[in-house]
Amino acid sequence: MKYKILKALDIAGLAVLDPIVRLIYREEPSEQVRKIILFIGIPAFTFLCFMVLWAYIAPRHTTKSGEVPTPAVVWDSAKSVWVFHERENIKEDDFRVSGEERQKRIAMVSAELEKLKPQLAKVDALLTKAQEQAKAETDKAVAPIMAVFEETKAKYSADSTARKKALTDLAGTIKADDKSARSEYLKKVEAHLAQTDVEKGNLQQIKAQMDAVMNRKHQGLIEARLAKNRVAEKVQFYSKRLENLGDNNQQQKVLAAKESLDKEKEKFSQASGRALYFSALKIQRAEDRLGRIETSTYAKPWTFPAQIVRSLGCVFLGFVIATVIAVPIGILCGLSPVFMAAMTPLISLFKPVSPIVWLPIVFIIVGGFIDDPEQAPVHPAFLSSAITVALCSLWPTLVNTAFGVAAIDKDHLNVARVLRLGFWSRLFKIVIPSALPLIFAGLRISLGVGWMVLIAAELLSSSEGIGKFVWDMFNNGSSQTFAQMFVVVFVVGIIGLMLDRTMIVFQRLVSFDDAPTAI
Amino acid sequence: MSFLEMNNVSIGYGPSNARTEVLENVNLSVEENEFVAIIGFSGSGKSTLISLLAGLESPDSGIVRMKGKTIGEPGPDRGVMFQNYSLLPWLSVFQNIELAVKQVFPDMKKGERKDYIQNYIDMVSLTSAEWKKPHELSGGMRQRLSLARTLAMKPEVLLLDEPLSALDALTRSVLQDEIIRIWEEDRRTVVMITNDVDEATIMADRIIPLTPGPKATLAQDFKVELPRPRDRTTLNFNPDFKALRNRVTKFMISVNEEAKLLRTSRNLKCPDIEPISLAQVG
Amino acid sequence: MSQTSQHLAADSTTKQTENGEPNVTNQLTRRPRKTLTARIDPATRLIAALSLVAALLVAISPSKVLADAPSGEKVYLDIEKDSLKFGFIKLTDCAPIVIAKEKGFFEDEGLQVEVIAQPNWKTLLDNVINGNLDGAHMLSGQPIAATIGFGTKAHIVTAYTLDLNGNGITVSNNVWEQMQENDPALNTPTPKHPISAKGLIPVVRQYMDEGKKLQMGMVFPVSTHNYELRYWLAASGIHPGMYSSTDKGGRTDAQVELSVTPPPMMPSTLEAGNIQGYCVGEPWNQQAVTKGIGVPVTTNYDIWKNNPEKVLGVTKKWADENPQTHLAVVKALIRAGKWLDAADKDGKLVNREEACRLLSLPNYVGADYDVIKNSMTGFFFFQKTDKREMPDFNVFFKYHASYPWYSDGVWFLTQMRRWGQITESKPASWYHETAKSIYLPAVYEAAAKMLITEGYISQSDVPFGTDGYKPATSDFIDGNKYDGKDPIGYINSFKIGNKDPK
Repeated sequence: MKYKILKALDIAGLAVLDPIVRLIYREEPSEQVRKIILFIGIPAFTFLCFMVLWAYIAPRHTTKSGEVPTPAVVWDSAKSVWVFHERENIKEDDFRVSGEERQKRIAMVSAELEKLKPQLAKVDALLTKAQEQAKAETDKAVAPIMAVFEETKAKYSADSTARKKALTDLAGTIKADDKSARSEYLKKVEAHLAQTDVEKGNLQQIKAQMDAVMNRKHQGLIEARLAKNRVAEKVQFYSKRLENLGDNNQQQKVLAAKESLDKEKEKFSQASGRALYFSALKIQRAEDRLGRIETSTYAKPWTFPAQIVRSLGCVFLGFVIATVIAVPIGILCGLSPVFMAAMTPLISLFKPVSPIVWLPIVFIIVGGFIDDPEQAPVHPAFLSSAITVALCSLWPTLVNTAFGVAAIDKDHLNVARVLRLGFWSRLFKIVIPSALPLIFAGLRISLGVGWMVLIAAELLSSSEGIGKFVWDMFNNGSSQTFAQMFVVVFVVGIIGLMLDRTMIVFQRLVSFDDAPTAI
Repeated sequence: MSFLEMNNVSIGYGPSNARTEVLENVNLSVEENEFVAIIGFSGSGKSTLISLLAGLESPDSGIVRMKGKTIGEPGPDRGVMFQNYSLLPWLSVFQNIELAVKQVFPDMKKGERKDYIQNYIDMVSLTSAEWKKPHELSGGMRQRLSLARTLAMKPEVLLLDEPLSALDALTRSVLQDEIIRIWEEDRRTVVMITNDVDEATIMADRIIPLTPGPKATLAQDFKVELPRPRDRTTLNFNPDFKALRNRVTKFMISVNEEAKLLRTSRNLKCPDIEPISLAQVG
Repeated sequence: MSQTSQHLAADSTTKQTENGEPNVTNQLTRRPRKTLTARIDPATRLIAALSLVAALLVAISPSKVLADAPSGEKVYLDIEKDSLKFGFIKLTDCAPIVIAKEKGFFEDEGLQVEVIAQPNWKTLLDNVINGNLDGAHMLSGQPIAATIGFGTKAHIVTAYTLDLNGNGITVSNNVWEQMQENDPALNTPTPKHPISAKGLIPVVRQYMDEGKKLQMGMVFPVSTHNYELRYWLAASGIHPGMYSSTDKGGRTDAQVELSVTPPPMMPSTLEAGNIQGYCVGEPWNQQAVTKGIGVPVTTNYDIWKNNPEKVLGVTKKWADENPQTHLAVVKALIRAGKWLDAADKDGKLVNREEACRLLSLPNYVGADYDVIKNSMTGFFFFQKTDKREMPDFNVFFKYHASYPWYSDGVWFLTQMRRWGQITESKPASWYHETAKSIYLPAVYEAAAKMLITEGYISQSDVPFGTDGYKPATSDFIDGNKYDGKDPIGYINSFKIGNKDPK
């Protein structure tokens, strides 16, 4: 049992857990504890240090563009992303629900709304109060500075006028041939200008003080605003739910459409002459409408979890395309030095090209094949992103495959020769199996590259996915933008890690010697 | 005309300006059902000799013939057992043999084939290790697997390239006995390369020394006329055996001295032989 | 259809609404409406009106005849397509589309509409052209430029103007200080508006003396922002550079160089010093104030009062294939526009806070509610010390804002010609024909008429009987007069820019 578990862990690439299992089975406890500390304790500790350091540094680093979010803020932001997702799901559900369940929900939502009303009034009052207070505070703080500013400004302006007057007066007294007086005068004017500059600087300093006071954050106000926003958002959410449960509800609309169809039919039975024709038309239209409503789906916005799934789909498609292209070409390169020589310039040329360059090109090419995106089985933006991912990620697989095939053990080839294997059985029974560990090592790198490239591709192509989420949230420019970027960092990182681990497992399965495949 | 023969065969490697002649004017003839041991020092071109017989390499000059026909390319009629086993590491014991059997006997039915393969696995005492991968086997087991694979091809000639060199002395003697036992079942023609005089003396009908390279060639052969079956324990006290062994050893030492004198300070280029990696042994 | 019958129809429906519509607020129109004086008896008018509605709908949908719906009853259009995708850019002026969706106006027309944020104007346009989107929130210049083939060529049409005004020009703190030095009148916490670019001239000179050029950002080559920024600069004699067949960047002879910067990048690019100013929509001017990195000096309301800003663009092909759907969309948008501009007796915009709440959802504009609220509820911060009421900063419906005026199209064409985006001179007739091939008032009017019958809007909300040209106006920062009927004269009236032979 123990060895089965250990073996499973090993294959699953979770050798980290090995010592824990061994410890449970009481195998060399002190050695296992040492290993646990080394392989689990120390990484966990480092991560903890990172979080503490982050939490410490973040609030101390503010830029004009915003504040670096703390772990807590990021966590809140992740929650709000999730709340948005859940709310949209509920709205969609409300749109479809019918019968008793609908009634129950209406009652529930109405009750919630009733409960929220007094809350809303309360937070409104709080906000008004906080605003007034903040304004009073600011005014109080600004007023003296403002007074100083006005006073200084008046004084400076008077000084300046006086100086100017003195200088112009002086100018009248200088004689035509008095060179030293003239150069003296020049110096005086210069001094005057310098003084003016100094004064301007002083004024600006006072202004900066004023700005600083106005920039001061009022904790009470911020909290009041947040509270208000929270309640108001809930109110909005429940109101929309009520709509989706009410007139907007699909079943309700179907009923209404049926009713109007019945009415038209009633009219039709009594109509005659020209009116009969129009009535018939109306029935047709009402039937069409009914059909459309019955099949209509709720236009739900893309939410982050849905975008993650789509991104995974995109990277998978791109990865499959990359594999389908890279492995055969790599094998040919490995088998034939001529082919390798022929491909080398192309490989060297295309390998370093960035996804940002590929995407527009791919877009145009793909667009040429898809006339009507609505009818197309895959969305062109999705396909373009996938192809871009493929173009950027196929190189490690190609190179590794070529290398793996070229470096095949000569003895293995001799076996094939002795057995007189044909080309295809040599390829599939000797060459590919022998190169497989290297091919998979390449695939693993490819998948990592693809996942990295994908975000950029989606961002540019506006194909729904994590990249689009990043760009949309960046475009929002809201107070949550930075925190959402951090959420993306973690999500992308964790998914990337899981993809890598999955590939390690595959690599393990095909590798035939005991060489370690990953740390 | 002998079963397997080499006439004035020469072969060398490298570009023309730095060419190393490995074998020069080699003449060899092996009779059907004969067990020939070719003995030589490391680096004297023994593996090249086997490659030539197997058809894996073609001579620069001279002719290699089997049953009167010139050997052009390798084939399953000449079963080679490579020095470093040449097992396919991604296939299990059973699959390694199966690959060969499928290729040589394509018409064999599935069930029949299974029994056939199992028979060879049993023959080399690998029973119950059928589904292990080569890296899970010990050196001796790998060697036996390699042997089983070669035998399963039912070759007319067995070409054994230092089949036991990588093994410890104990395993080695066990395998020697095993090879002899199997060989005695149908007495196929065998050419075995070895660097061990005892091994050659115990196993072969004839011992042919290979002079040290470069430009190695075969020297005068020694007939081994010890009766079979040869019992290792009693053989050590057999005066014929001892005399033969001494003669061969002396001859080998003398040609080696001669070669050293000839070579003086010349740097020797190693033949194209892969050393056995530790991973495979352990 | 003839002008007179249109007037008749309009007239008769006015009568209906006067009789019994509670929710109609009479909007002020600047256009005299003498043509609507009643001279025919009510019964005749009613018949004429109904037959006109029918005739109009027949004209739009030749295949199926829509019956004459009685007043107050919902007119269900025979839509060709019920699930649509509209693209938008994260700017507050996409509001009508968002509102039409969130308030269920689209659903009332039987449409399920997905509203999808687009990364930039170019991608948005491409997605409309290649059919990924059914339509989009577009810069007014985009349908025009696409149709005449400046940039990507495709025939794009519009039947609905989403809003007026809504942009601002922001300069960096440093430039603002220099402007204040050059013009002491600006050196107060609340300087007098409008602020012209005069104070900028010495700054521009100084840069040129140092062998550099002042850099300013705008969002797209054919965006309103580009033309407004150019107008503002040129009005004070600063040359913003000409486009030509070889200079697609529009920098020939420039004293101030303009470059394309995506709106969200504006504040950070300004802060980094790559540009010294920019012209952009909200919330990116207010962001500069909040972050203290720049000072908005003027809004486009000051440059041209009530200038058209964004439109709903669809391809001609789409409009031809889905005429009923197009009508339904315009109907929903008109209702959304009306809802956005609904005001109480004191002129307070009653629905704007709710609109801001919706716009601040992350899948729409997504900026903080409090930031969006500023400009949308009629306030604008020019500096921290300078908060002003700008009730008309965002106009969605009043002043017949959403009507697709030919004269708006002509104005953009004249600016494209003025700055050399249109490389050769064209006759006046070309301007009118081009505008008429892009702006579709007939669709708007048909949709509006249905809404009048349904009781959602009133007769006075729609400028029935117009020839599509707004009256000549001098509401520009330089006081230059614009008459849409005389494009060549208008082009030639500018000091800076291309001139055309009469």
